[in-house]
Amino acid sequence: MRDVAVIGGGVVGCAVAWRLSGTAARVTLIEAAHDLCEGASKGNTGIATSGGDCHPGTLELELVRRSSPGWEALCACLDTPFHRIGTLAVALTEEDERRLPELLRDAQDTGAAAEIVTGDQARALEPLISEEARAALHFPDDGIIDSIRLTIGYAELAARNGVEVLRGAPVHSIERDGDRIVAVTAGDRRIATRSVVNAAGVEADTISRLAGGEQFRTWPRQGQYWLLDRELGGRFRKVVGGVPTPVTRGIYCVPTTNRSLLLGPTAVDHEDRTDRAVDAETLDHVFHAAQRLAPSIAREHAIKTFASNRPASDPTYRIAVDAEVTNLVHAAGIRSTGVSSSPAVAEMVRGLLEGLGLPVGDQRPDAITELEPLPRLLGHPRPEQLFARDPRYGQVICACEQVTAAEIAAVHGMAVPPTSLEGVRKRTRATGGRCQGAFCLSGVSFLHSLHAGRRPPQIAVSEPDATLGIGAHDV
Amino acid sequence: MSDRPAVAIVGAGITGLTCAHALRDVAEITVIDRIPVPGGVHGWEATETRELAPACGAHLRLGETAIRWDGLTLLAIGQDGPRQMGAAALVIATGARPLGRAELGIAGGRPAGVVAATVACHLAENGLLVGRRPLIVGGGDWAMRAASELRAVGAERATLVCPDGLLRERPNDVAVHVREHDRVVSVAGTPRVRTATLASGETLGCDAVVLAHGVAALRNVDGAVWAGDRAVYAQPLADPATVAQARAAGAEAAAAVRSLIDQEERP
Repeated sequence: MRDVAVIGGGVVGCAVAWRLSGTAARVTLIEAAHDLCEGASKGNTGIATSGGDCHPGTLELELVRRSSPGWEALCACLDTPFHRIGTLAVALTEEDERRLPELLRDAQDTGAAAEIVTGDQARALEPLISEEARAALHFPDDGIIDSIRLTIGYAELAARNGVEVLRGAPVHSIERDGDRIVAVTAGDRRIATRSVVNAAGVEADTISRLAGGEQFRTWPRQGQYWLLDRELGGRFRKVVGGVPTPVTRGIYCVPTTNRSLLLGPTAVDHEDRTDRAVDAETLDHVFHAAQRLAPSIAREHAIKTFASNRPASDPTYRIAVDAEVTNLVHAAGIRSTGVSSSPAVAEMVRGLLEGLGLPVGDQRPDAITELEPLPRLLGHPRPEQLFARDPRYGQVICACEQVTAAEIAAVHGMAVPPTSLEGVRKRTRATGGRCQGAFCLSGVSFLHSLHAGRRPPQIAVSEPDATLGIGAHDV
Repeated sequence: MSDRPAVAIVGAGITGLTCAHALRDVAEITVIDRIPVPGGVHGWEATETRELAPACGAHLRLGETAIRWDGLTLLAIGQDGPRQMGAAALVIATGARPLGRAELGIAGGRPAGVVAATVACHLAENGLLVGRRPLIVGGGDWAMRAASELRAVGAERATLVCPDGLLRERPNDVAVHVREHDRVVSVAGTPRVRTATLASGETLGCDAVVLAHGVAALRNVDGAVWAGDRAVYAQPLADPATVAQARAAGAEAAAAVRSLIDQEERP
C-alpha cells in the first residue's frame, strides 16, 4: 500500500515526488513515457520567471513569486544549472514604447522587480540587441534554468529517498471504492494507494476522467523553437523578448544554461496531443521575429528545430482536491510557467495531502536533501581535477558538447538511469550539439549499450519500439 | 628549447599534416587529433599520410581532443589527462560533415530513423542496419557510400534524393533508385519515420532517412568556432574530400599562419 501515487513524470510530478520524498510517506511516481521529462518539461524556453509577466491576483503569480527567490539554493541541491541573468522586453516601435509605462505598472503590481531602461541602457545590458531598440522593460530577477536537469534532479533525489519511479507505465484504470481511489493500474502494475496526485500535464483531463473526478479539459498548446549554436548563445547576457501584447508574449531569444540559444516559442492551440511537428512557415516567422530583436542571429547558427506541447486548460492552475473524489489532488493546468512555479506547487500539493491526513507533515531525519554534483568537462575551470577523479574524463565522446565517457558512465549509475539515447542526451547533452550526433552517435550508442546491458539492435532512440537499427545482419 | 613560435594544428588529416610540413622550418608545430592514427578521412595508409606524418617535423599528439582556445592557449584532453599549450596561432583542420536536419530545412515530427550518413555507415560497418528501405538525401560520395553500405548489410532498396542532382556515376545496382533535383521537405511517422515528403509534392514511404547532403565544417574547439583569435581555418568544404583540395587548404593555412607570425615579429 502506497500513501501517494503521483501520476506524471514532468516537472510538476517530479517536484511533488521530490517534496514528499523527505517525509514519511510511501510514494510511487508514475510516468507513461519511457523516461521522465518527455513532455512540456523538456521542450520549453528554460526561463525561470520572477513573475513580472504574470497576472496579479492569480495563484500562478503567487506560486511563481514563492518559488523565485529560492532557485540558487534549490538548484545547488539538485545539481541543476541556474543563472539569474534577467530579461529585457525590448520596445522596437513607438507603439511598443508607449505601452511600457502601463506594463511597468502591471509588473510592479506583481511584486517582481522591474524597471524601464532607455535604448542605450538596454544595449549596455545586452549589446546584441537591435540598434532600433527605443527602450526596454528590464526584469532583473528572471533566471535561466536547465529544465531537463531540474526535472530529472527532482526525480533522482526523490528516488534516492526511496520514492518508487515507474517509467513506461501508462495509467490504464483507476479503481474507486465509494468516493475514494483505492488503486491505480499503470503498465503491468496495480498500485494500491491512499491518495493520487494528478500531475499528468496535457493528459490531466484523461486522468481525472479515469478516476471519475471533475470534468475539465486540457489541450496542447504547441510551441516551435530553434536551437542555435553555443558559440552565439554564449555571447548573450540577457533573455531578450519583445513587448508583450494582449494577444501574445511573442518570441524570445533565450540563452540556455549550456550556452546555446533558443528562439521561440510560438503558441498555437491544437487537438493532437502527440503532434510535435515543425513547419517551415512557422519557423521562418520565429526566426525573423528573433532577428528583429538581435540582428546578429543568422541561419548558419541553427543546429536544431523542434516543437513541444505545453498544457493549456481552463482554468489554469487547478491545484486542489477533486470535488468528487476525496483523495485525488489535481496539480493540473499548470501552463507554461510550470518550471518557474514547481517548488511552490509541490509544497502546496504537500499541504493538501497533509489536509487529507497523509503522513507528509514532518521531514524524515535520514532523508537526503542534495545530490552530489556530477562535474562536467564543458567549461570546467580545472579539468585536471576531473581527470584525477576519473581518467575517463580524458575520453571526449561527444566533441560538440564535450561530453566524456566519465559523464556517460556516471548517469548510467543514477537511481533513475537513462534507458534510451534520448535519455543519455537529456542527462549529459551528448549528441545535442552542433553536429546533432553525426560524429558521436555511434560512440554514445556503444557506451549506452555497454552500461545499460543492451545489445546494439535493442538500443532505443527514445521509446523502446523506436530502435536505432531495425535489425542486425549477419555480415 | 626552440625560440621559434609554437603553432597548434587540430586535425592530423592531410590538410593538417600539409600545413605542419609547410611550417616545419618556421615554427614549433604540435598536431592534435581525436583519432589515434593520422590521415583523417583519407586514412593512415594513404601515400600522402605515410609521407607527411614522419616528414612534417611536428609533435603528433594523437588520441587527444582539443577543446578550448582561450588567451592563445589551447587546452586538449586525452588518456594522459588535460594538457595546455601556448601557441602563436591555431589551425583548425578538423574536416567536414554532411548537413544536419535543421540545416537542410526538413520539417515535420521527430521520428526515430533520421540519421546522419556518417552514423548510418558506422552502424552498417558494425552490422546494424538503420533501415530496410532507406531514403538517402544527397548525391555525392557520402550518399553513394551510404547506399552501398546499407545495401551490403541488408537494405532491400534505397532511394537517393539528390537536391543538386547526382554528382557521381549512377550506382550499378537496380535496387538503388535516384530522384534528381528534388529534396525532402518534411518527415512523418511514430515512433519510426514512415514517410518523407519531397519538394515536388510526392510522398515516399521509407523506414529511415539518411542525411548525406551538403558539407559543413566540423568545428568543436571552444573559442575557435567562427572567428577565433589568431585561428586559421583549413577545411575544404567538398564532398568528396580530395587529397588535392586537402593539400591546397593545408598550404593556404600555412601561408596564413606565416603572415600571422610575421606580423607578430614586426615591432
